[in-house]
Amino acid sequence: MRFLRIAGEGVNSLTTNKLRTFFMMAGTIVGIAALTVIMAIGKGTEQKVMKRVENFGPRSMMLIAGGGRALPPPDTSITTLTLADAQAIRDQVPGLEIVTPQAWAFDVNLKYEAKQTQTVVWGVEPDWHEAWKWYVSKGEEITDEDVATMSRTCVIGSSVKRDLFGDKDPIGESIYINKVSLTVKGILEHRGGAGGAGGDFDNRIIVPITTAMRRVMNVDHVGAIRIITEDTSLMKQQTEQIETLIRERHHITPALEDDFRVISPLIIADMARGASRTLSFLLMALAALSLLVGGVVLMNILLISVAERTKEIGLRRAVGATRGDIFSQFLIESLSVTILGTLLGSVLGGAISLAIGKLTPMPAIISWEPFALAIVFALLVGTFFGVQPARRAAKLHPVEALR
Amino acid sequence: MIQLESIEKTYLTGDVLTRVLKGISFEINPGEYVAIMGASGTGKSTLMNILGCLDKPTEGHYHLDGVDMVNLDDDGLSDLRNHKIGFVFQQFHLLQRTTSLKNVLLPLIYTDDYPENAEELGENALDMVGLSDRVDFRPNQLSGGQQQRVAIARALITNPTIILADEPTGNLDSRSGAEVMAIFQRLHRDGRTIIMVTHDRDTAEHADRVIVLDDGQVAKDEIISQPRDAEAELAALAPTEEEAL
Repeated sequence: MRFLRIAGEGVNSLTTNKLRTFFMMAGTIVGIAALTVIMAIGKGTEQKVMKRVENFGPRSMMLIAGGGRALPPPDTSITTLTLADAQAIRDQVPGLEIVTPQAWAFDVNLKYEAKQTQTVVWGVEPDWHEAWKWYVSKGEEITDEDVATMSRTCVIGSSVKRDLFGDKDPIGESIYINKVSLTVKGILEHRGGAGGAGGDFDNRIIVPITTAMRRVMNVDHVGAIRIITEDTSLMKQQTEQIETLIRERHHITPALEDDFRVISPLIIADMARGASRTLSFLLMALAALSLLVGGVVLMNILLISVAERTKEIGLRRAVGATRGDIFSQFLIESLSVTILGTLLGSVLGGAISLAIGKLTPMPAIISWEPFALAIVFALLVGTFFGVQPARRAAKLHPVEALR
Repeated sequence: MIQLESIEKTYLTGDVLTRVLKGISFEINPGEYVAIMGASGTGKSTLMNILGCLDKPTEGHYHLDGVDMVNLDDDGLSDLRNHKIGFVFQQFHLLQRTTSLKNVLLPLIYTDDYPENAEELGENALDMVGLSDRVDFRPNQLSGGQQQRVAIARALITNPTIILADEPTGNLDSRSGAEVMAIFQRLHRDGRTIIMVTHDRDTAEHADRVIVLDDGQVAKDEIISQPRDAEAELAALAPTEEEAL
């Protein structure tokens, strides 16, 4: 085929001028490598974000006592968040499925017979189970009656069960926090893994919130309120409503710092994105810049090469090349350069992504999408910066060119 | 068959009109070996460009094998050059870093009926100019005379109606020049039509017919009854070092 033969001429001219070809490719290689790394980090980060949000609960918000920007450990010295706040939210913010307050105490010493362990105590209402999608694997959950009667019962996490009871069945046994005895009525499902705050999720016990506040901690405040929305599209608006409501109830004027904060999946996602977002912006700038600069360099080298190869073009025209043939050859040269540059850039970017995934905490996932995108970019850059030189070459008059 | 009919060419340089060709008419029959002569500035190159279908006349008609090239568009002229004309230039115009064979095959890239046995044809063409042992050499590995012979092989590859040579010996020493002239005479004996443009009377007299241009017009159109014999001239030249050894 004539077109293939002409394409062959284009490729040939690249292989006989390797150094020139390399300079034509350099910008594309760097640009596409940066693009590949951005995509890999972006994809890795999004997966991390999804996982964090999934763990947190995509429909969940946490109203936590204590201000500031960072995640827990929560500030237990803040005593302003109360059960009444939870009730006010229930009454005044529409579209919420669950509003469940929880009291918490950290580093609590737990005793069973001669054994001891350090754990976290959460005082909860029955819908805590639903709100965290965390149920018992054995025994019974916390009930309304437990809360109403301030019953001396508890449900223990699987790590607590292991540490205090070993293989023994803990249901019905009594454990002690200081001098308060609690009867074990259930074991929480094993959750495993580390939470946002780190540490062992299963090293905790839950007790009725009334029991926790009155008998165990002797406080009037709660540590947090977990809120589940009916509709995630309302979440942003509901977050604002809750903030306004609590500020009002806590008499916080605009000049003062909040004594609480509302954590939503949006914030979780933001935190999970963290550094990789900054890096992505930098790389995006690098990619754009190198593709642009690379494209301009490519165009200039092509223009110079058109000027240098005037005689060659004239000869080709003399022996029968049409303007279209000359145009095709030069455009193919430009496209071949960018496509080859893209292949090399993708390989380089893939290698860098792997290294980043291994050597830094940033996640990077290699996939075919950046490659497909890169090829599209290559064709765009190759065409955009190749057309002008190709047109100039095609316009040369054979008589002038042969002079 | 070539028919030129009142060919005129006028250039506009700035505001000045320059009439380079002022009505040129002649015919060249198949198998003729014609030299077009003239001092520089007589319109010889311009006529050569028109004969080669690289440029169109301002006025007149040029029929090549019955086709009036004046009516063709740029693509049509490209096609005509590809099929009907084999060029040999003063500066050879070979692609550097490209083998003799690839250079010879270049015109075939632009033909729509690419022959199956292209490489064989290329090798035959190189054989015809005595370079069958230089198939894979690049221009920088060849002498000037050898490069010009590669260019002649290239001109032959599409089996054109005419071979159009522009000062083919202009850049060659006398021996290489005589070799090229000998090849042309051999091609002529084989029935090829050759048109050679030159400013040199001695070179021109290798042809059977000399058309002399002066001031854009045909000043003389003469038959050379006794063309110079390039083979004999070659034999009379001192042997090369290579041959002497």
